[in-house]
Amino acid sequence: MIDVKNLVKVFTAKKGVLGHDAIEAVSHMSFSIPGGGALSLIGESGSGKTTVGRILAGLEVPTSGDIWIQRVNVMTLPPAERRTFLRQVQLIQQDPYQALNPARTIEQSLEDPLKVIARERGKNGAWIQSRVHEVLLRVGMDPGSVLNKYPHMLSGGQRQRIVIARALTVEPKVLVADEAVSMIDVSLRLGVLKLLKDLRQEFGISLFFITHDVASARYVGEDGQLFVIYKGQVVESGPTDEIISQPHHPYTQALLSAVPVLKGLEDPGPDRFIPLRGNDQEQVPDTACIYEPRCPFAQAKCQKERPVLQGAGHAYACHFPVVRRVVATMK
Amino acid sequence: MALEFEARDFHPRGMQIRDLHVIYQTNQGEIPAVNGVSMAIAPGKITGIIGESGSGKSTLAMALMNAVPKPGRIVKGSVVVDGAGDMLTIDKKIRQKVRGRDIGFVFQASQNSLNPLIRVGKQVLDLGRSHNIKDLRALLRRAKELLERMGMDAERILLSYQHELSGGMRQRVGIMLALVLEAQVVILDEPTTALDMISQASVLEIVRQIHQERHLTTILISHDMGVVADLADNVVVMYGGELAEAGSTEEILAHPLHPYTQGLIRAIPRISGPLDQAIALSGSPPDVAALKVPGCLFASRCPKRLPKCENSRPIYEAIGSDRYVACFRGTEHD
Amino acid sequence: MSVAESTPVSSKIPHVPKNRATFLHTAWRVIAKKPGRMVGLVIILFFTLMAIAGPYLYPRNLPINPNAIYAPISWKYPLGTDFEGTSNLALIVTGARYVLFAAFMAALFTVVIGTVLGLVSGYYVGWSDSVIMRITDFILTIPGFPLLVVLSTVWNFGQPVAMGFVLGITGWGGLARAVRSQTLSLRERGFIEAARTLGLSPFHILFKEILPNIASYIAMNLLLAITGSIYAEVGLFFLGVVPFQANNWGVMLNLAVFSAGAMSSVQALPYLLSPLIALLVLTLGVVLFLDAVDELFNPRLKEA
Ligand SMILES: Nc1ncnc2c1ncn2[C@@H]1O[C@H](COP(=O)(O)OP(=O)(O)O)[C@@H](O)[C@H]1O
Ligand SMILES: Nc1ncnc2c1ncn2[C@@H]1O[C@H](COP(=O)(O)OP(=O)(O)O)[C@@H](O)[C@H]1O
Ligand SMILES: [Mg+2]
Ligand SMILES: [Mg+2]
Repeated sequence: MIDVKNLVKVFTAKKGVLGHDAIEAVSHMSFSIPGGGALSLIGESGSGKTTVGRILAGLEVPTSGDIWIQRVNVMTLPPAERRTFLRQVQLIQQDPYQALNPARTIEQSLEDPLKVIARERGKNGAWIQSRVHEVLLRVGMDPGSVLNKYPHMLSGGQRQRIVIARALTVEPKVLVADEAVSMIDVSLRLGVLKLLKDLRQEFGISLFFITHDVASARYVGEDGQLFVIYKGQVVESGPTDEIISQPHHPYTQALLSAVPVLKGLEDPGPDRFIPLRGNDQEQVPDTACIYEPRCPFAQAKCQKERPVLQGAGHAYACHFPVVRRVVATMK
Repeated sequence: MALEFEARDFHPRGMQIRDLHVIYQTNQGEIPAVNGVSMAIAPGKITGIIGESGSGKSTLAMALMNAVPKPGRIVKGSVVVDGAGDMLTIDKKIRQKVRGRDIGFVFQASQNSLNPLIRVGKQVLDLGRSHNIKDLRALLRRAKELLERMGMDAERILLSYQHELSGGMRQRVGIMLALVLEAQVVILDEPTTALDMISQASVLEIVRQIHQERHLTTILISHDMGVVADLADNVVVMYGGELAEAGSTEEILAHPLHPYTQGLIRAIPRISGPLDQAIALSGSPPDVAALKVPGCLFASRCPKRLPKCENSRPIYEAIGSDRYVACFRGTEHD
Repeated sequence: MSVAESTPVSSKIPHVPKNRATFLHTAWRVIAKKPGRMVGLVIILFFTLMAIAGPYLYPRNLPINPNAIYAPISWKYPLGTDFEGTSNLALIVTGARYVLFAAFMAALFTVVIGTVLGLVSGYYVGWSDSVIMRITDFILTIPGFPLLVVLSTVWNFGQPVAMGFVLGITGWGGLARAVRSQTLSLRERGFIEAARTLGLSPFHILFKEILPNIASYIAMNLLLAITGSIYAEVGLFFLGVVPFQANNWGVMLNLAVFSAGAMSSVQALPYLLSPLIALLVLTLGVVLFLDAVDELFNPRLKEA
């Protein structure tokens, strides 16, 4: 399980000769995922999703905030210990073409982490071999046909399965999947999503699922939480099904409207609106709602006062929350 | 922009593709990337072409303009564009005129296809010059209008280099370049791949609007059934370089006949309805060796295969008005 | 599992016969693919063999023959003779060891130092990187050749290892820079970050994850460093700035030009040409073989 309190990440980007420009990529985010549970983080690109995932995996240091994994505060561990401890958090990256070493066979890539563990636990080579087979079979790959292959000989979907198998070698407690299926063929996505979903139940893994597609969040995040983020801030959060059926924030509604409607099978929601993307660079004053410049429903108050996230269970940061029926329904 | 427009008629143009064969000559042998494709692109409609990666969609699109790149070769067939002739046999000079002016094209991964060393505005002008456009000012005006329509700061974009634009911006610039010469047939190869959902929805909406306003004939290529199902009037399903099924979008989605199409539709996660109705498509797309089998290309992944599917390949044939399928069980409904 | 995208799982027995082709086996296939590569390999093997076995083929002191000074090419003297009537062929064959061994040592120093420092400074950006790069810049500014000339006044280069060491210690700067820049770009790649989250050690990441990806580049540099060092050595001996401790190709060139006047007398031409041809053929062999190296070490080019 994982608990995150008040996570903040500020990047300072060099801006000409004049000095630095601070970008708050993640702003005061708190959440927790129980063992076997799931939390989906959803938002368009640039909203800070990857940054949160990388912080959890220990690849980025947060500006402030605390992270507890299995009730241990990661931030207070000495660096050397933290490295080993964070092995329990594994990251499935977006690009399966980058995630495997092109110069090493699948067998070599899977054996490496196992060798470290075998040394720690005094296991032998046969144990390593059997674990390699175990994880490959678990992700639905035939060891005999892939072990000696190089990554370039596999399809995107197969590679992503190998990446998941490699993560399983270290028996993780938390899986962070960062747009794990966005670069593989739509026809093969569901297979990988199902695998992630099954791993939650089978190994009690907490799944942190990053996506920009509500439908896949709904699929893997069954009975889980959904966090909608925009420019590093949570604008709506709550149980996945409740947010999909009763979205309150206009940005959540925009994300739901953006899901393609299957003509012939579904009818578009009566309130569906097509969101136009605005100018990303736009700076919003601290006193205004961050979504105001793009919000089709903004009113005068939205420019003067920033709404705070409120509500128990299902929370949203909007001055004028109105449920709109934007989700398509089956014919 | 009205000036440039007046001289041209608004009759949408169609396309007839007959028995098109394209192969790639590689050191693993010949890859039949497009294998005997015949179809009619309805004028004034959006035709969606869908298939997994490697199914030959991009190759088909390039063959439609007779622009298949190097190790590839069009072996036979014809591509007749209304009012322009057979793209595969007309004079090279005329063909180059047709490209861009009559047929606009957005390449796959167009976010990387802009010239990195030239500002966007200059590329618009170069495009105009290569097509002997006299009024370059009007051309720039049109480019600006298109960019603004797509929600961008046109002045800034025209003065930018490729690397100064985000992926979504480049994608939209690509679409602008395809439309700026007022082409009447527009081919979009994976215009929204690599975009997030909101950018995708806005790009698709722009395509839809411009298609309607200009009475275009649009070909939309994607591996995402959802994208095609939302936008297209007609759907063509490709598998392993061949056509599997075609028909109107409503028909294909509501009553898919080919087991592959059925599998593709089932594999889309939805935001409504029961969760467990989504079922993953098993197996993987055919590789080069698998394309040479005598039987149906989909047989090894097919849940409904018959003994004869292994030995002979079903013919792609009409089974109703504008409804085609290549499956021995094609006429059975389930 | 119904979701399998892969080929159906055939067996549950956790044992797979290792059918990974051995390196030599693959290497042979890659080289045999193009005749040029074969020729290159044969030439390199030929010279290697010459360096190893050459000195044993002839007596320690090569026979001289006052009756056959600057003899023309014949069956007895396939490459003619020198000023003492010693066979040029014998000189080439026995001289190969020093030249090649020194060049090999030089290349080894270059590649080992350049690679390790390049990897370390590229991976650990920070103070170690700055220090290493300062040293690299310093090394790059040392003109190697003149340094050798100076060193030769205090050091005698009778031992090829000494020669190789000096050539190598001044030559690794360029490679270190190149390896560093490749490492810098690789360290951002997903698989390196994955290795870090999997808890693999920096040593593993540097030498097992990054190194294999630049192996073809390094192997090519090794070969090029060998030819480069041969030229440098031969040049030194040719100029006569280092004392002649052993007979070798550079010494031959020097004597041919400055003592025998091969530039003006036709007689001594075989004496001049034989080391030159040996150099040319060896270089040709290396160049032809380079083509295979890329494919050998580049897994992307390996077939299924
Ligand atoms: N290393 C970095 N340095 C500076 N800015 C960064 C860095 N990484 C991300 N950012 C910025 O933080 C914001 C969030 O980025 P990211 O987490 O990648 O978003 P997402 O994954 O939702 O697309 C963006 O504005 C991005 O430009
Ligand atoms: N330049 C090329 N050289 C060799 N084979 C190619 C080339 N381009 C495409 N192919 C092959 O042709 C087939 C169809 O590819 P493509 O048209 O790009 O499919 P899609 O666009 O549907 O992904 C694939 O098997 C692919 O490997
Ligand atoms: Mg991201
Ligand atoms: Mg394509």
